[in-house]
Parts: sequence; structure tokens; C-alpha cells
Amino acid sequence: MNRVTIELWLWLGSELQGDFESLSPMRSLREEKIEEGTNIRQLLDLLARRYPPLARVVFDLEAQRLHPYVVLNYNGSVISPYVLYDQVLKDGDKITVLPMYMGG
Amino acid sequence: MDIGGYVGRLLRVDLSNGKTSMEELNQPFIEKWVGGVGWGAAYLYQEVPASVKWSDPENRLIWTTGPLAGSGVYGAGTFNVTSKGPLTNLAGASQANGFFGAYLKFSGFDGIIFQGKASQLSYLIIKDGKAEIRDAGHLAGKDVWETEDALRKELGVKEKEVSVFGIGPSGENKVLYSAIVGDRGHLAAHNGLGAVMGSKNLKAVVAYRGKRNFEIKDPQLLKEKNDALFEHAKGFGVFYKWGTGGGFSALHGIGCLPVKNYATNIFPEHERMNGQYMRTHFEIRPMPCYMCRIAHVKEVTVTEGPYKGFVGEEPEYEQLAAWGPQIGNTDLGAVVMLTREVDRLGMDCNEASWTIGWVMECYEKGILSKKDLDGLDMSWGNVEAVKTLLDKIAKREGVGDLLAEGVMRASQKVGGEAVGWGIYTKKGCTPRSHDHRGGRWAELLDTCLTNTSTLESTWAGVHTPLVDLPAVSDPFSHEEMSTLNAKFNGIRQFDDCLGICRIASTNPKLVLDCLNAVTGWNLSLEDAFHIGRRVVNQLRVFNFRQGMKKEDERPSQRYGSIPVDGPAKGKNIMEKWDWMLENYYTLMGWDPKTGKPLPETLKKLDLEELIKDL
Repeated sequence: MNRVTIELWLWLGSELQGDFESLSPMRSLREEKIEEGTNIRQLLDLLARRYPPLARVVFDLEAQRLHPYVVLNYNGSVISPYVLYDQVLKDGDKITVLPMYMGG
Repeated sequence: MDIGGYVGRLLRVDLSNGKTSMEELNQPFIEKWVGGVGWGAAYLYQEVPASVKWSDPENRLIWTTGPLAGSGVYGAGTFNVTSKGPLTNLAGASQANGFFGAYLKFSGFDGIIFQGKASQLSYLIIKDGKAEIRDAGHLAGKDVWETEDALRKELGVKEKEVSVFGIGPSGENKVLYSAIVGDRGHLAAHNGLGAVMGSKNLKAVVAYRGKRNFEIKDPQLLKEKNDALFEHAKGFGVFYKWGTGGGFSALHGIGCLPVKNYATNIFPEHERMNGQYMRTHFEIRPMPCYMCRIAHVKEVTVTEGPYKGFVGEEPEYEQLAAWGPQIGNTDLGAVVMLTREVDRLGMDCNEASWTIGWVMECYEKGILSKKDLDGLDMSWGNVEAVKTLLDKIAKREGVGDLLAEGVMRASQKVGGEAVGWGIYTKKGCTPRSHDHRGGRWAELLDTCLTNTSTLESTWAGVHTPLVDLPAVSDPFSHEEMSTLNAKFNGIRQFDDCLGICRIASTNPKLVLDCLNAVTGWNLSLEDAFHIGRRVVNQLRVFNFRQGMKKEDERPSQRYGSIPVDGPAKGKNIMEKWDWMLENYYTLMGWDPKTGKPLPETLKKLDLEELIKDL
């Protein structure tokens, strides 16, 4: 088993108190144990099935892709979702899900 | 005229001879251009030929409202300023929120066209359909807040009885990035429109509150759609709860926070400088614009650190970035202090901050010394030195005279390696206070291609489904981003015709519903895009007539460089820049080699008369 961390920013984690640890008004975090060989798409699918708010705002289960308004940061780098979905996760990896933020 | 939402009259002010006159607006003109930047583009093209320089009396300074201003749509007190701007020597257009857009209409006018130059510093007062030019000699050198206070006292009016917009010392001294500032901290800041105002010896404009004097075609429908628009804006992102600063950390997470003039993309202190931190640690009081229910504008009292007790306007995202990471400052209280300083002097925080960040890099690397900088220690994060330097810039005193020209011109004058360190577009203006090399490629392209010196088409590549466009999947795709810019182009310029704040107008379809309820029109989203694209093309042909070239549509070396660390490390937008331009031009109906609108494109937009000028 590998341990990976998934972090949700801003409102993405607002309906998941209790399941995710709230670090600040803008960050919620959860550590997850996954099978060897699990890729990012499989992790997102697993989490979205377990936590319905994630299916609504982060990962579209039917389309098997991220919702339009979010972007993934994998171990500190924003990478194209086309590349990311098949990325096999290693022990200690971190995925951050951020809203694509308009304005400012 | 059978359209709701309009007074139907413009005020023309000839500052050279001190005369004012009224001009009736006819229905075909209103329907073609709607208002705001649309009217600005139409009059600018008609009245400012290529031979006119930005500072010539013949340049026009065009203040226009739109059909939603003062209509009761929440937050619709916005007005637009259009002119030939000093930073780019091309068209400039910028919007300010507050109350003025509503009050100007209630005082009898949909807009004002200033021409000529007053023989002495003057201000304009508008009340009950009449206008008067008065001497402003006693206001010379006053900052924008002092000017508002002095005029209210002189006129014997309470705070909300009048709306005042004017210039500070920066505009009087024609600093190239001066803003027009009013209603306690609202700015039309882009492309130095305050310098144009200064060149005309016009210090301020006062509009009385008055009463609504135009028809609303369907008040019941308007109420319903206005409520729906508010509910949409309330649930949209973080603005309602945390202000524009609520996205500060999210932008750090995608590599869009500018740190020390692009030296890095890592700013560990971001969680002590975002909107969430500010609104949970500092004292906050709402300062809503005209009839606004979102009230994202606040006044703030600093409660910790060296500036404890300082009171100022709550910094927006751009000011947080400009006076925080970009200058190497980690104290939020100091951001509040510098935000107040720049606003009160009457400057655009973006160009000011990019200029000062460039100075700090030059100081760090030994290109500029204390001797060159009037004895100032411009080390990263020295906020008191920044404050002193801003004051020098506003007065064009010492080294401030060089820096008053903005970062492109200052870096070219210093020369050598320092030329490559400035962050700007080749047109001559700087971007907003983002690092667009992160997940904001759409805005990098937009900033370089814009015809007004501020964003023209995108919503940063976000929320495309709101206008029935497909969602973006990769913010680092050359193809997706250039295509998105072209497909999205039009709707923002249409918004800027209406007299409504962007924070309030989060849903274009609901905005359109409100517009149709006010005017009695039945415009579709497609119509809105069409009108917006007409404005874009009109401004573009104006710019080509002024001498713009395709080569100007590029970022400076540093602006287009590759991030060295952080979430966007190694991303290179420039490797396909020319391809992006050609793709964008083609999709816009422009010549892919020159970027000029094709005759058939102009014909489709009812702009045949412009073809001869290309």
C-alpha cells in the first residue's frame, strides 16, 4: 500500500468537513492509502464515489475527467490533465486540487 | 426614442474656450454601440486622427455610462473612460465603479466628451442637466481624497450627495500611468487616462445625485432577473465572502503570483496575505458601490504588525500582489499602507509595482545604486523606501521623473542588461499584477493582443460554459488558449458598454436579461458577442491607423520568459507564439500575417466605412 495526500483548496472542500482535515479557511487535506499501481484517474474516481461533493465539484464520474473549473497540481507542478490521468502514484505523492480562479 | 435606460443626451465640454453644449443621441447610434466603451470607440475613431498625440488638446477624454447604470441593477454605478492613452499611444479604455455612472445620468447625461485644454486648473460640476466649469487652482497638488473632501466642503454637501472623480499629483504631473480616481478609492486606472486628464488641466468632475430620469421598460422582470443575478454572483467563487483577495493563494497554487519581478514563483507567506487572512484578522467595514448587494469593497483597519491602526481601503487581489510578493514584502499591513498611498497619489498600482520591482532588481544586481536613486535603499521589501519613491514619481522629482515614464521606457533608458528585466508588452503597458506564465496563458496572450491596454477577451480561460463555449482542459495548451481568446472575444467589451461592475455581472445571460428588461430590447447572447466584436474591431482599426504593428503584439523578454521554479516550472509559451497569433488572427477574421481586420469581417460588423483606413 502507498500513502498519498489529497488537498482541496478554497470552496472545493467546504462540504467535506469531518472527512477532510481543515487546515485553514482555504485548505482541506486527507491522507489516503492506495493499492500499488493506482493512477490519478483511479484515485479521483474512488474519492468521488465515496464523497459525493467531490463528484459534483472536482471529478465528473460519468465523463471520467475533471470538472471544467478545477486544475490539478501534482507534487508542486501544474500538469496537463491529459498527462496526469494515467500517472501512477508513488508513496508520498501529493495532489492538490485548485479552482480555476477568475478575476483578481 | 423608444428605448429604456437612456437619458438620450451627451455633454460636450470644450475646455479651451470654456463652453459646454448638449448633443442628442439618436436611436440607431445607441443600438449600434449601446454605451460605455462602445460609444468611446465610436467617438474616439471619429474625432481623434492619427496626427493627434495623447497630450494634445485635440485628444478626447470620453466618459460614458451605459443603459444599466442607475437602473437599479445592483452595483451598476459604473462608467467607462476612453481616450488615446500615453503608455501605448493607442486607444485606452478603463472602467471605474462607485456611484458616478448612476449620478451622471441622474444629473442629465449619458456621457461627457472633453476636448481642448483649460488655461488653468479647472473642475466641472454637473447638476440638473446643467454643467459649469470652475477654477480649481486651490486644489492644485491635493491628493484625490483631499480633493473629494475639499469639493464636498466647498459645495456644502454630504458624502453621498455628490460623486467626485479626479486626479491626484500624479495626473497633474502627467505621470504616464496616472489614474482617474473617485468615490473613495475607485479607479479608471489603465493606460494613463489620468495623465490625459492632467494634460487638459482638468482636476475633477462632480456629479450630483439627482433622481432617476429615464424609463425602465419592464420593472417587474428587471426585479426578478436582478435578484437572480445577485444569487448567481453570491455563489460565484470567493468574491462575496472573501473579496478578490480570496483567490490570492489559489493563484499561488497555479504559479500565477508574481514574486520579486519573476525571480521565483514561490511565496511561502501567501496564507498570511490572502483575503481569508485579512477578513479574519483585520477590522473590516463594507463600502458598497451604488445599490450594491455584494459589497465586495471594504474599508480596513490594520490590527497587527508595524502598521497597526492604519486605516485604508481593503486591497484588491491586484494590490495584494503588487505591494506584497512583487516587491518582496511579507507584511499585510504594509500592503494596506501602500495601497492607500498609490490610490491617494492617483496611480495605477500595476504599472507602479512592476516599475518598482524592476528598480529593486536593478538595485540588487548593482545596476542602480543609492546615488542613482536619490539615496534610497531599494532592497526587496523596504516598504518605506517604496512609499518615498512613489511620492517622488507622482511629483516627477529626482529619479521619479525617469520612473514616471513606466517600466518599458525607464528600462530602455537605463539600457544594458536591465532592458531585459522589465515586465511589459511591446505596446508599452504592463500586465495586471499576475504572473501570467503560470496557469494564465490566456491572459498573457490577451494582455499582448488587447486594443485598450487592459484585458479584452478572456475570463482567464475560466467559466467558458457560461457563454456556451467548451470547457478548457489544459491551461498550458497553445492551441486551446489562443482559440479560447478568439472565441471568447466580444462579450467582455459588450459588458463594458453597459455600466455595470464585473464582480456583479458574473452571468452574461442574466446580465442580458436585465438589459432587455431595462431597454425593451430582445438581444441574444449572439447579438451581444456581435456588438462586442464590433467594438473590438473599431478600436483595432483605430490602433492600426495610429501606427500599431503586428510586432507590437508580444511580451517583453522577461514577461514571456520560462518560470524557473514553482507549479509552472519549465512552461514555455513563446515556443509557439507566432503560431498562436496566426491562429487567433484567423479565428477573429483578421489577416493572419498582419493582424489587420479583413474587409469581409468589417462588413459583417457594419463597419464598412473603416475599410478605406486600412
